[in-house]
Amino acid sequence: MKTKNRGLWIALFTIPCMILFAIVYAAPIVTVLYTSLCDYTTFSGPVFTGIKNFAAIFSDTDFLVSIKNTLVWVVLQSTFHVSLGLLMALVLRRKPKGWKIVRTAYMIPNIIPTAATGVMFTLLLNPSFGVVKPFLDFLGVDYNMVPNLFGNSRYAFWTVTFTWILYSGFNTIIFLAEMGAVDKEIYEAATVDGARPWQVDRYITLPLMKNIFGTCVTLASVAMVSQFDIIYMTTKGGPGNSTLNLPIYLYKAATLENNYGKANAVGVVQIALGLVLVLLIQRLFQERKELKEGK
Amino acid sequence: MKKTSKATVITAGIFKYLFMIFFVLIAVGPIVWAFISSFKSYSEINSSALSWPSSFKLDNYKAAFQFAPIAKYFLNSVIIVGCSVLVTVALVAMCSYIISRFDFKLKILIVLLISASLMLPAQAISQPLFAIFQKLGIFDTKLGLVVVYSAMGIPMSFFVMTSYYKTISTALEESAYIDGATFLQTFIHIILPLAKPGLVTIALLEFINTWNEFYFALMLTSGDKARTVPIALNYYMGTFANNYSALFAAVVMTVLPTIAVFIILQRQVMESLTAGAVKG
Amino acid sequence: MRKKLASRIIACALAGVMAVNVPVYAGSDDGEKVVLNVINYHVGTDYAADYYAYLFEEFQKTEEGKNVEFNFEEIPTTDAYNQKIKLLISSGDLPDIVFNGGNNITELAAKSGKVADLTPYFEADPEWKALFDDTSLEFNTVDGKIYGVPVSKEISYIYYNKELFEQAGIEAPEVAYGSWDEFFEACDKLKEAGITPVGMDSADSGWLTNLWMSALIGTNGEAGNKWMNTIYPTDFNTPEVEAAAETIQKMFQQYTTPDAVGGKYDPMATHFFNGEVAMFPNGPWMIPDFSQTEKAPEGFYDKVGIMLMPCNGMEMVPTPGDMVGATDEKKIEAAVAFLKFETSPENQIKALEMTGLQPVSNDLDIPETLTESDPLMAQVLDIQGKAELTYGQNQAYWYQNTIDTFSTQLPELAYDNMTAKEFCEKLTESAAKNQQ
Repeated sequence: MKTKNRGLWIALFTIPCMILFAIVYAAPIVTVLYTSLCDYTTFSGPVFTGIKNFAAIFSDTDFLVSIKNTLVWVVLQSTFHVSLGLLMALVLRRKPKGWKIVRTAYMIPNIIPTAATGVMFTLLLNPSFGVVKPFLDFLGVDYNMVPNLFGNSRYAFWTVTFTWILYSGFNTIIFLAEMGAVDKEIYEAATVDGARPWQVDRYITLPLMKNIFGTCVTLASVAMVSQFDIIYMTTKGGPGNSTLNLPIYLYKAATLENNYGKANAVGVVQIALGLVLVLLIQRLFQERKELKEGK
Repeated sequence: MKKTSKATVITAGIFKYLFMIFFVLIAVGPIVWAFISSFKSYSEINSSALSWPSSFKLDNYKAAFQFAPIAKYFLNSVIIVGCSVLVTVALVAMCSYIISRFDFKLKILIVLLISASLMLPAQAISQPLFAIFQKLGIFDTKLGLVVVYSAMGIPMSFFVMTSYYKTISTALEESAYIDGATFLQTFIHIILPLAKPGLVTIALLEFINTWNEFYFALMLTSGDKARTVPIALNYYMGTFANNYSALFAAVVMTVLPTIAVFIILQRQVMESLTAGAVKG
Repeated sequence: MRKKLASRIIACALAGVMAVNVPVYAGSDDGEKVVLNVINYHVGTDYAADYYAYLFEEFQKTEEGKNVEFNFEEIPTTDAYNQKIKLLISSGDLPDIVFNGGNNITELAAKSGKVADLTPYFEADPEWKALFDDTSLEFNTVDGKIYGVPVSKEISYIYYNKELFEQAGIEAPEVAYGSWDEFFEACDKLKEAGITPVGMDSADSGWLTNLWMSALIGTNGEAGNKWMNTIYPTDFNTPEVEAAAETIQKMFQQYTTPDAVGGKYDPMATHFFNGEVAMFPNGPWMIPDFSQTEKAPEGFYDKVGIMLMPCNGMEMVPTPGDMVGATDEKKIEAAVAFLKFETSPENQIKALEMTGLQPVSNDLDIPETLTESDPLMAQVLDIQGKAELTYGQNQAYWYQNTIDTFSTQLPELAYDNMTAKEFCEKLTESAAKNQQ
């Protein structure tokens, strides 16, 4: 795009953002990178030791499991969770009766403080007095022991996943805004041509959502790479290491082992993993755009 | 439409409503449950998840106020979150626009930096931040938290907004430039009105992301001046002395006004959407 | 060694003299306020919130405290408090009085060199020092220097529900079961009568299970007792620990509620209040709950009995003591004055009355009014003397990350996903991460 004083405007519009960034992130990024190569604890300053911390974490099975869990959550979240938000947006887009209520209601879980959500789920899913037993009775399922959803490593991973995967209101809002921006005339033309609703969605809306879908997938992946609160409030990574992910592992290294060097090494892995994901996802969703630009 | 049989339409309609009802239930269920539980006693809350409270007395609401400075912290939350939403939206509106429209040398660097900061673990950055904030004199101030929250909100909003700007056709700007409009005029009078739904969306996202932030609110404050709701909730969770009923009472009291704000904001989005459609 | 000791004594004595001298000068310029920064986690629903509010207020009425002003930061929950304190230790901005929220804070703070060595102050005031026994002071000593002032002792034993014992047709022992076999016989009888015998948990730190396990180890011969009295144990694959883990596995599978695995303290306590489990291990701070109708049914207090762990065992640990983070001489003085006030015999008794915290001093005169108004507490004070074996528990003695491993691996043990031996190996591995 051409305009007068192009360089000046670019600078003026990006610099405020970058200054704020520098205040908050510049020193920490450098600190994290450097101290990941140090012996560094709560009570002693950083002393350079090379890749010792990285060697230590990569030979720890718990760490490898935490990477695996993180990745599984990334995949689940960027496929099922984001699609659910999209599906809801497609339903609400046509403004069926009560759609406003649905839209607002679906956002509510996002504003309930995590501390409360954690307590809520542990009480609701308590095997002695929670909803699991009545629910199984209702379904007529035969059991000899009520499943202990958070307590048993067989179910814990899926139970924890369940506490967030259905709550996709965040994505619904993003998709709805994007759908609102689609030119109304396209839809009108399609309807005149006799296209069925699902055809309109399939051939008009969805292709237009590709770009924002990529954004939502990016955000969902990144959110999963740094997911912490709800896991901490419910299982703290257990039982065993069944719900251990990178942030929980990092937290334990920093707070329980008082080993900041190791924690920051995990942080570096976390950042690297996130960056790789962001770049991969962007490549995946921007192929078409690049082709266009190639012309 | 004519080709679709009536039965199919009806089944589709039923499924659509079942889908909507299911998600409303699982979304509203928790807060309704919290509301009911806010009237229960310690004993009731810890021995049955489905029972009805024995009475609907407001004792737990009184306790919520008694144990924690919930009203003050709520006000702090509103101010801090409100300001960081404004700052984030303003900065991202500008920065994303540039990134979505121009190619320049440092662009990839900016994008990489923003992406990397998305993943920076809070534990790792709290310590350097603590020192910087003390030097800048913004430790334990609302401003300090606004700075962190705005910075934390930028990456996410940045991605959403950059994507949104790309949906706006460049034809309008180009014709504006041909008409002799300056860059700033074009941005303010043409781009921003069109980008309003996107901006409201990132405002909502920033709100959601900062409203429940606990860690920095704890680490970067030392008194009542700048502490927020999530910290107040900790007052109900002492060792061997959790008071979940008061916790839920506080949650209900702080979540309800938030929902109201949401409804108002979303109405705004709608109005701007229809307004945009008329103009278009 | 002897030379070192001698020079240390001289140094202490000198420091002591200086310490005694300073307040004379400080006292002369009257009216000058000393402001002490304090982070208080005894707030909100904390069991000792009222007591600490009382303590701060009363201190300012005393001669030493009248010129002291407190600048409070409140941090509810020890979890949040410890996170912040660790940040402050590494950044060097500790408050003037550092309350101890456990979590091996004493060692971290001492090693960082950011808390004051209190040895000279103890030496300068023999009367004060005499209030503490050697174990309590040793527990707060790092590299030969005392950093923490222990304010109480922690003990725990078994509460049992007399009514449920009656229903099962068994009689609780006067003091304790003579052996674990007898204990489990009683458990079997309770079970036959349809009563869940014991309360256990695993979430957070697995507090209740930890108390059972500590007892199993601490009463298992000399080796077990010695192990359970060791601070920062690193080898968990000893016969005693493995045997205890195996018993814990059995207890989870046969003798407790289904929600014990993964369960938090509160629902477990409620099981006990509601008469759903017969025996519950815990300390004296639980006693006030028995008569709170909000928590327990009316009249529950009278149904509760107290016994020691089998083999007359009782968990008893000194508490990690409060420290001084001030660097300014006057502030150190004022902070120490507060700690002296906090540990004065009167306030130890006040703490006992208000919160159930056990006095750190051994032979305080307990007023008779207390024993009349709170017979259970009187019984606690009485039964302590009958303990033949005392030992620690994991929250006081183990590494922080090992406690966490204990808590997250317990469910795996309970569901037979690992053997007792494997469980102990996990603990050993985890403890090893602390040695650098």
